[in-house]
Amino acid sequence: MNAKFWQIIVSILLVVSFTASADEKLSVYAVNYPLAYFAERIGGSSVNVVLPVPAGIDPAFWEPDASVIAEFQQADLILLNGAGYAKWLKHASLPRRKLVNTSAAFQRDYISVEQTVTHQHGPGGDHSHAGTAFTTWLDFNQARMQAKAILSTLENQRPRHADTFIQNYTLLEKDLVSLDQALSAIVAQDSNKPFIASHPVYQYLSRRYYINLKSVMWEPEIMPEQNQWDALQQLLATHDAKWMIWEGQPDKQSATRLEELDINSLVFSPCANTPEEGDFISVMKNNIREIEKAFQ
Amino acid sequence: MINSLYIAWHYLVFNKVRSATLVACITLIAFLPMALQLILEESQQLLQSRANSTPLLLGARGSALDLVMSSLYFDDEVPEIISMRAADEITDTGLAYAIPLYIRFQARNKPIVGTSIDYFDFRNLQIAQGRMLAVLGESVIGAGVAEEYGLAPGDSIVSSPDTLFDLAGAYPLKMTVAGILERSHTPDDQAVFVDLKTAWVIEGLGHGHEDLSRTRDSSVILNRSEDSVTANAKLFQYTEITEENMEGFHFHGDASIYPLTALLVVPDDAKAATLLRGRYLENQQYHIVRPTEVIQGLMQNIFRIKRVIDAVIAIVGLATILAIALVFALSVRLRQRELTTIFKLGCSRMTAVKLIAAEIVIIVLAAGIICAGLLYIVDANIETLVRMFILN
Repeated sequence: MNAKFWQIIVSILLVVSFTASADEKLSVYAVNYPLAYFAERIGGSSVNVVLPVPAGIDPAFWEPDASVIAEFQQADLILLNGAGYAKWLKHASLPRRKLVNTSAAFQRDYISVEQTVTHQHGPGGDHSHAGTAFTTWLDFNQARMQAKAILSTLENQRPRHADTFIQNYTLLEKDLVSLDQALSAIVAQDSNKPFIASHPVYQYLSRRYYINLKSVMWEPEIMPEQNQWDALQQLLATHDAKWMIWEGQPDKQSATRLEELDINSLVFSPCANTPEEGDFISVMKNNIREIEKAFQ
Repeated sequence: MINSLYIAWHYLVFNKVRSATLVACITLIAFLPMALQLILEESQQLLQSRANSTPLLLGARGSALDLVMSSLYFDDEVPEIISMRAADEITDTGLAYAIPLYIRFQARNKPIVGTSIDYFDFRNLQIAQGRMLAVLGESVIGAGVAEEYGLAPGDSIVSSPDTLFDLAGAYPLKMTVAGILERSHTPDDQAVFVDLKTAWVIEGLGHGHEDLSRTRDSSVILNRSEDSVTANAKLFQYTEITEENMEGFHFHGDASIYPLTALLVVPDDAKAATLLRGRYLENQQYHIVRPTEVIQGLMQNIFRIKRVIDAVIAIVGLATILAIALVFALSVRLRQRELTTIFKLGCSRMTAVKLIAAEIVIIVLAAGIICAGLLYIVDANIETLVRMFILN
């Protein structure tokens, strides 16, 4: 009788501890805001999503210190953007088992960045440090695929919550499809309309929505030097753009001088880091409204 | 009896050489089989426990024993090289995860184990001092390595060049010791762990140098065109990875064909393990082995040899005991005059027997003490001896 009583108590404790561990929040670390947002939307209360990149810093070029890398190592999941995003990953030691390349499904469609210098030394022969365009989420269909990769991983990690994850994903997918359709419809009005991008980060946006886009290498907060203006003039000779797309609000002087060249400015934020206001969807809706200005 | 022991002791001391020879013979005959048994039991335990905790190993087709000895016990013998693609293939099956291993280089005669952070979780290795690997060029060392070389976090350890006179070979890489592992009483205590990428830098697949497009030293440039810069052999390559030059480190070629010596395959469950093994049965490039089976085979061979050695020791032991009996018999004959004197002094025959028995007791006791001492030394250094005689 006594032994049976203890057997029951131990069984109850085991069940309780198992349930507790199964319900423990998944610690998810992401390398950029879009992935963190998708994980939060899909995982809901079952996940604890962390994006350790300080505000105002581009996560693609951020360099974490050893203590932050240790935090990544301790996470249950590490969401990677793929396409060579986050340069620090090349030098960091992270557990392979926890890494999730969210863009693996379309890695054959990565866009190579042109105009990179190749060099040669030693027996290895000619090689290049050519990069890959990495703002994959600006193609909302690719963003949907990245969200789906996160869904699939969360389902594997917490099968008990799979139904909730699928429900959450369906809502997110609806939002992303809506963005995709809205932008496609706007650009379809005049797909030959030339644009200039202030920075080469809109490759996937341009490809998906057939935006006639060429890039310069300007920073929104820095007034370009004369040689950069000269380069722009050369570009305009073959690419008669009336709009420049900026990552952030451009410097007033730059915007005024552009206006003198009959070029208007619009802001399309890649939203790589946590926005000061709103979330990924609201920022993208705002971006679409900005683009729409060029087609009015 | 005390008197007999006293006289026997003095007799043995007087005949030092004879006594020492007898003690040595008995010691050796007792010590050898016991030490052998001790070493074999320990090696069996070490080998078996390590093998049992490793579900599957994937490597290039070839010697399963070489693969297991290199991957589990960091033996010097390097198995056939496989590529990183094999790890991706295992992951793609969805049946297991793979921990890559690249064990080819050494630092201060200790194996450099290139792996991923997953290895430490899998082997349940904890950091005792410092911290875990974080970036390229760092190492985490086993407790044995730290103790032997007096290393602490923040110190450096340099990889040994592939071959001393190979000037075109891989340069030694100075690696920072980021942390020291807790003692695990496994071969991990004697290893230097680095990230796989660091191992590839040692290999020469990745390297760091000044940005050629920005260099001011024109003498390092062989040819410069609009989209290409060719450097000559004068280009200085970094031999240490620091925060300042880390950005300059890069890898060439397709990472999926980078080399590995093995993959530690951790299947989701027994069914997944069986399915995986089945899938690789017909594979011409790779094979999957169960370390437990390989080590069982090895131990069977070792114990077969041990049985032969035991038989030899038994015969030699019997011969030695007979020789010792002969020595005592001859000794009694040689001491006939001495015994006659003892009888004349009024002692009984029993006293003479007691004297000889006391001598035997002292000799056996001395041999027993020495044997116990030697066994204690063996026991204290058992890991080194096992590594010396069995693993290497």
